[in-house]
Amino acid sequence: MGPERYLMGLFKDEDKVVAAVNELKASSYTFQRVNSPFPSHKIMDALNLKKSLVGWFTLVGGIIGLVGGFSLAIFTSVQWNLIVSGKPIVAIVPFVIVGFEATILCAVFGNILGLLTQMRLPSNKLMKYYDPRCSGEYFGVLASCEPSQEDGLNDFFRNQGAEVRVFE
Amino acid sequence: MSEKTVQSAGAQKSPALWLFIALVIIGAAAFGYGLTSQHPERAWQSYLINFLLWSAIAQGAVLFSAVMHMTKARWSGPLSGLSESFAAFFPLSFVLFLVLFIGKSHIFPWLHEDLHGKEVWLNIPFLFWRDFLGLLILYVLGFGYLYNALQLKFDPSQPGKGIRKYILSGWKQNSHNLARLKRRMTMWGGFYIFAFTLVLSLIGFDLIMSMDPHWISTLFGAYNFVKAFYVGLGALIILACILYLRHGEDSGITPSHLHDIGKLFFAFCLLWADFFYVQLMVIYYGNIPEETYYIIARTMLAPWNGLAWTIFIACFVGPFVILLNKKIKTKPVFMVILCSVVIIGIWLEHLLLLGPALNHGAQSIPLSISDGLISLGFLGLMAIAIRYFLSTFPELVQIKKVKESG
Repeated sequence: MGPERYLMGLFKDEDKVVAAVNELKASSYTFQRVNSPFPSHKIMDALNLKKSLVGWFTLVGGIIGLVGGFSLAIFTSVQWNLIVSGKPIVAIVPFVIVGFEATILCAVFGNILGLLTQMRLPSNKLMKYYDPRCSGEYFGVLASCEPSQEDGLNDFFRNQGAEVRVFE
Repeated sequence: MSEKTVQSAGAQKSPALWLFIALVIIGAAAFGYGLTSQHPERAWQSYLINFLLWSAIAQGAVLFSAVMHMTKARWSGPLSGLSESFAAFFPLSFVLFLVLFIGKSHIFPWLHEDLHGKEVWLNIPFLFWRDFLGLLILYVLGFGYLYNALQLKFDPSQPGKGIRKYILSGWKQNSHNLARLKRRMTMWGGFYIFAFTLVLSLIGFDLIMSMDPHWISTLFGAYNFVKAFYVGLGALIILACILYLRHGEDSGITPSHLHDIGKLFFAFCLLWADFFYVQLMVIYYGNIPEETYYIIARTMLAPWNGLAWTIFIACFVGPFVILLNKKIKTKPVFMVILCSVVIIGIWLEHLLLLGPALNHGAQSIPLSISDGLISLGFLGLMAIAIRYFLSTFPELVQIKKVKESG
């Protein structure tokens, strides 16, 4: 049992990628990822990825911001009870602006925090097993297998109509 | 072997048409009954609200197509063509506006008031002439845009008479030069968008804000056209969802279309609330009695305050919280309900803006069953108009049917 072998099937056709991804998932080879020169709904559907958690980070950030913004405005007002032109000390209508801005600010922070923790970067696998043609006219389907299965995976990709690149 | 046939969405004869006609008759009867009753002003109030709401829906929905073209957006797919069908309500809206003239003495509470110099602007002949011309220009521009937009999608193999023949003759001239056709769409569409903002502002000032002739809010016009786009999108979503429910993805509409337009609807929900808030904010800070009484009567005093909160929840808080969710935007049944709630909310919002001025000293909200019946009549008119348009131009929604043969 040596180290795992990484092979990339390079496809020119979107639908063939979808078919290959589906068959790879059903096979004994380990499906790794797809490199695509442009965003593709079909491939996204075939990958059937888990829903990203980034949205939740953003939502929580936004709620914290909303509560925090209103709290800040209310807290600072009651520290110095100065009545301005007959308005109540805790004047909700103008505080909406503070609350709104803080919501957006904290939602953005939450979003960035979510991205940093969820995007799995930096990754040494990403560039190590990458073919520059995937930024050109090819879709790259990356899969890995035991060294003994390498020929099988190679044939599998060829049968699907791909050019194969073997990563050393 | 499979064979593809294209069938129009509105072409099938169905009892729905009779239902819509019945709705119109019910609405007209309720309106007629209201006019002969002791309070004809109530019937006219309902008529005015419905005229404003349904015209705004038609204008706002057509705006969607123009905006999609101007921004070169591709995501809208069949929705763009679908939104053009709302233009069929334009002629009706124009006639309904003319009918409004008959009820002028019931509609404008400032007719016999001392307006302190404002009578230069607020007098019946000038008001009706400028709104008449404004709507005329808006609708002509809308049809000009449509004339070119329909040629772009035109299918000459289908037989036609009337308007279809007219479009066909244009298509024969222009079909070889699509770039020119698109340039013309850009020109007409651009002017339509521009006229939309100006004319809807004018309508907002003249037919809604002027009911309280001493109250002004400079942003009221902008608030009015943002609202119109908001309800226009809502109605478009309802129409798209109905087609999706009936024909599934054969209608060309996919859940991702519903998702995308749901996001736009969500954005305009926020924008509507924002335009409300920025007016409120200025009035709150200025604290001038001439301005604050309008807000106080509507949001703090009975009987209107309950209505104000209902509208705020139905048109902003509810949709905002619900539409945060992605999946819900792709559920057609749910979106139909949500958009209907929003449109009813905007109906009530018109009542809130007009009501206190038209019903001085009201003890309860002037809302009765006849308001609902009159509104149903307008709904019937809108449905008939859209149906007519979609059956005349089946290219707009192509229902693909894959038939198994042999």
